Amino acid sequence: MNHSISLKKATVTFDERFTLTNIDWDITANQHWMITGSNGSGKSALAAVLAGMGDITTGQVSGLPENVGLVSFEAQAELIAEELKKDDADIMDVIAIGTPVREMIFDYCSDQNLAEQLVEKFGLSSLLDRAFRKLSTGETRKVMLIRALANQPDLLILDEPFDGLDANTLDMLQEHLASIVNQVPIVMVLNRLDEMPSFITHIAYMDKQGKDQGGLSLIVDRQDTTAFNELHQLLHLKTTELEVPEADSSNQLPKLDPAQPLVRLKDVTIKYEDTIIVDKLNWTIEQGQHWQLSGPNGSGKTGVLSLITGDHPQCYVNDIFVFGFQRGNGESIWQIKQFIGYVSTALQWEYRVSTSCRNVIISGFYDSIGMYSKATDNQKKIANEWLALLGMKDRADSPFNKLSYGDQRLLLIARAMVKHPPLLILDEPCLGLDDLNRQLVLALIEKICQGSETTVLYVNHHAEDQIRGIENYLELVKRQ
Amino acid sequence: MSNNYFNTLPLREQLAQLAKCRFMSMDEFSDGVEALKGKKIVVIGCGAQGLNQGLNLRDSGLDVSYTLRAAAIAEKRQSWKNATENGFVVGTYEELIPTADVVLNLTPDKQHTPVVKEIMPLMKQGACLSYSHGFNIVEEGMQIREDLTVIMVAPKCPGSEVRAEYVRGFGVPTLIAVHEDNDPKGEGLALAKAYAVGTGGHKAGVLMSSFIAEVKSDLMGEQTILCGMLQTGSILCFDKMVEEGIDAGYASKLIQYGWETITEALKYGGVTNMLDRLSNPAKIKAFDLAEELKVIMRPLYNKHQDDIINGTFSRVMMEDWANDDKNLLGWRAETAETNFEKTPAGDVEISEQEFFDNGILMVAMVKAGVELAFETMTAAGIIAESAYYESLHETPLIANTIARKKLYEMNATISDTAEYGCYLYNHACLPLLADFMKDIKTDVIGKGLSETDNGVDNARLIEVNAALRSHPVEAIGAVLRGHMADMKKIV
Ligand SMILES: NC(=O)c1ccc[n+]([C@@H]2O[C@H](COP(=O)([O-])OP(=O)(O)OC[C@H]3O[C@@H](n4cnc5c(N)ncnc54)[C@H](OP(=O)(O)O)[C@@H]3O)[C@@H](O)[C@H]2O)c1
Repeated sequence: MNHSISLKKATVTFDERFTLTNIDWDITANQHWMITGSNGSGKSALAAVLAGMGDITTGQVSGLPENVGLVSFEAQAELIAEELKKDDADIMDVIAIGTPVREMIFDYCSDQNLAEQLVEKFGLSSLLDRAFRKLSTGETRKVMLIRALANQPDLLILDEPFDGLDANTLDMLQEHLASIVNQVPIVMVLNRLDEMPSFITHIAYMDKQGKDQGGLSLIVDRQDTTAFNELHQLLHLKTTELEVPEADSSNQLPKLDPAQPLVRLKDVTIKYEDTIIVDKLNWTIEQGQHWQLSGPNGSGKTGVLSLITGDHPQCYVNDIFVFGFQRGNGESIWQIKQFIGYVSTALQWEYRVSTSCRNVIISGFYDSIGMYSKATDNQKKIANEWLALLGMKDRADSPFNKLSYGDQRLLLIARAMVKHPPLLILDEPCLGLDDLNRQLVLALIEKICQGSETTVLYVNHHAEDQIRGIENYLELVKRQ
Repeated sequence: MSNNYFNTLPLREQLAQLAKCRFMSMDEFSDGVEALKGKKIVVIGCGAQGLNQGLNLRDSGLDVSYTLRAAAIAEKRQSWKNATENGFVVGTYEELIPTADVVLNLTPDKQHTPVVKEIMPLMKQGACLSYSHGFNIVEEGMQIREDLTVIMVAPKCPGSEVRAEYVRGFGVPTLIAVHEDNDPKGEGLALAKAYAVGTGGHKAGVLMSSFIAEVKSDLMGEQTILCGMLQTGSILCFDKMVEEGIDAGYASKLIQYGWETITEALKYGGVTNMLDRLSNPAKIKAFDLAEELKVIMRPLYNKHQDDIINGTFSRVMMEDWANDDKNLLGWRAETAETNFEKTPAGDVEISEQEFFDNGILMVAMVKAGVELAFETMTAAGIIAESAYYESLHETPLIANTIARKKLYEMNATISDTAEYGCYLYNHACLPLLADFMKDIKTDVIGKGLSETDNGVDNARLIEVNAALRSHPVEAIGAVLRGHMADMKKIV
């Protein structure tokens, strides 16, 4: 292939059952791609577009090659269905035996020599006279592979080609692919990064965009090891069915009265000297009511939050009811903080302690930055479960301050959630993160929203970082 | 003129008070802030300690308000802003002192006599008066009304740290004491403990001590190793480097940030760790220099301790107070004129390790100063725990102020009392080290050892390592640092 394939803002539908939205993608010479992503994100659909399938509703797709070698479950199913149809079409009393494997291969492939070699290698020689439809799934897969490889394709598309292959065949296939990388560009759909052959140069990461919609959300260059490792983690969070670890049963939070709101601010005002930042704000957060708080810089978002958390000194001169306490009546801030999990960029800056990742998570039980008490065995166990969920088990004892910025953020979210607080405050949790880390953080938050009783208060001014499940919005305006 | 309280005591009692110091265990604080719950706490002064202690106490569920001198309220001074912006009630002495169950006197030490004289008549019968430093009681012999309880809760850190550590869920090491002459209801200890919990101090370690031990050790530490040694060291090292042809900008930077970098190592692993950061030949060199320095400076440390114990120091300083701080202000101006102070840090990159490698003499000075201060204090009867906090523990905190804005910043941050003592030390120490400095070359300050100095005698290295590790400040340090695991890194 000496020209490139290009998708520009392409939206492609597949029988109205699934839509790929707004895809921008270029494949140029000497590139070999892997497409990956969560289930339902449209990985196979994207590969199918390269084989000319789907209806392009908007945007452009150009440079698709004529002769595409395609191996996929769908194509395999289709071929088998065709064979069965031929059977149905057979009238008369002749017993239908179906098309023999020999015909399936040699009538189709333009490179007979190669086809012969592959038949030999894949151990199909003794099956050449067998009817195609009589083959096992693994055997039909091998036939598919030979048809794709030995037909001198301009582009080879292999959708989960390794699934269902025995170890021997798998090795053989890997070897063969490695030997042809200079002849044909290869696009593979794979679920797991560790299956990725070494010749892959780029990774396209797909993500669900809504019900029955998928899109291309990240492109990672194989050379960029940092991005590559983060992608590993993202896939882990997206694709494994992990549960949010339990709270510490031996150290439960006091029960809250379910009839009372979590937070009630009445006519609250924040002012510095003569400048009023927040003027007579009223806001009630009921249990189970997720909120998004937005507003420009300087509108007092963080101020309002810190009135709730007790970090703002003016919480003592305002009418604030939180977690059963009317503020300023002899309660301590630790009695308030025990009900709150909190994550912000400022917290991350303050968290400059040289302690281990595990201890950072455990410190969430104590609402402290760093640890001053000895953790219980149960707390350690729970922290380990969180590390596993984050895909960071191997870093339990690494010092927190040596982690990447994005990993630190993930750990701080786990720290905030470890005690299953009634209220989780996420103050611009994606701030300062690159695209990949943003997706990692959002993936984790989504997991938390689905898997716990916690009420989420999400602060953000980027509309695109929405979190599913949030229905209440409060927007602060900047006062002149 | 005031009456030195310590000097009125019989020797037996003096020794007993000096030796009073016990590291309290966590379960002694199981009552939390209960003893102060519902009591009205009124703080006088809203400066570094006043504001930050008050914020912590309020966040611990206690009732805190502020009283300021009338002028501060009328002119809306910084102290008034500090209190009102943080949502505290502020009132005059007449308005608030009579309502107070506990009065925290957090005005500058120099003002204590007039302030206490003014508020004492307004105080409720049986109320409590608290200090964060014992100077007024011990050195000025302030007499407090018999019905009042007098306690001390002294955080061993600047006010900003007191707050920052509390917010992190910790606290700073704190010394508490009850003035035995003023404990009519026997509730002094309970109140002091609750106060220490309210500021978060109990989580970092509390020393139960006496007013006397606190004052005599606090003064000793700040005058010698903490401020005096760093000031003298800065001046000597800078002038030497320039004299030897090292770029002045580099020299200025090496010193300004060097103290902070090398003492950060102290904080994590004591003097041993600080010296372990050097190569083996450099370590032996630093050790030898420190030994020499200790011999030369020991009489000076003894003199400071003696003057502090017998009251000479406070008498002389108070004479200067009475003389409108003539000496203090003069010395402050003199410091501003030193070459080190006037030369800005150059725009050069110095790596963390380079501060050690090229600052062998600075390492030796810190080692000598810490050990001498510790040895002198313990020889005077001050208990090791106290001596540790007043020497090694606080050194990185002070070094941090020099990194911010040199000696100016250090002297602005510390109390006038510390500043006065620092200048006294500096004036005596500069000439004392003159001969020693003649033999100093850039291998130990400015450039680091050359390749040819690289040989190390195994036996000597073993000896040095053993000597480092067996110093008594290391033993007590290991225990006390254990209580402060995961300390915040000072960046
Ligand atoms: N700094 C430390 O590291 C440290 C550590 C432990 C203990 N301490 C002790 O804490 C106490 C307070 O020290 P600090 O460093 O917090 O002092 P500071 O920052 O100088 O604050 C002193 C406060 O007292 C007020 N004040 C000054 N002169 C006054 C007067 N004549 N009458 C009434 N109020 C007056 C000042 O407000 P206005 O001038 O506006 O009135 C200011 O708010 C001292 O006993 C000190 O030894 C300090």
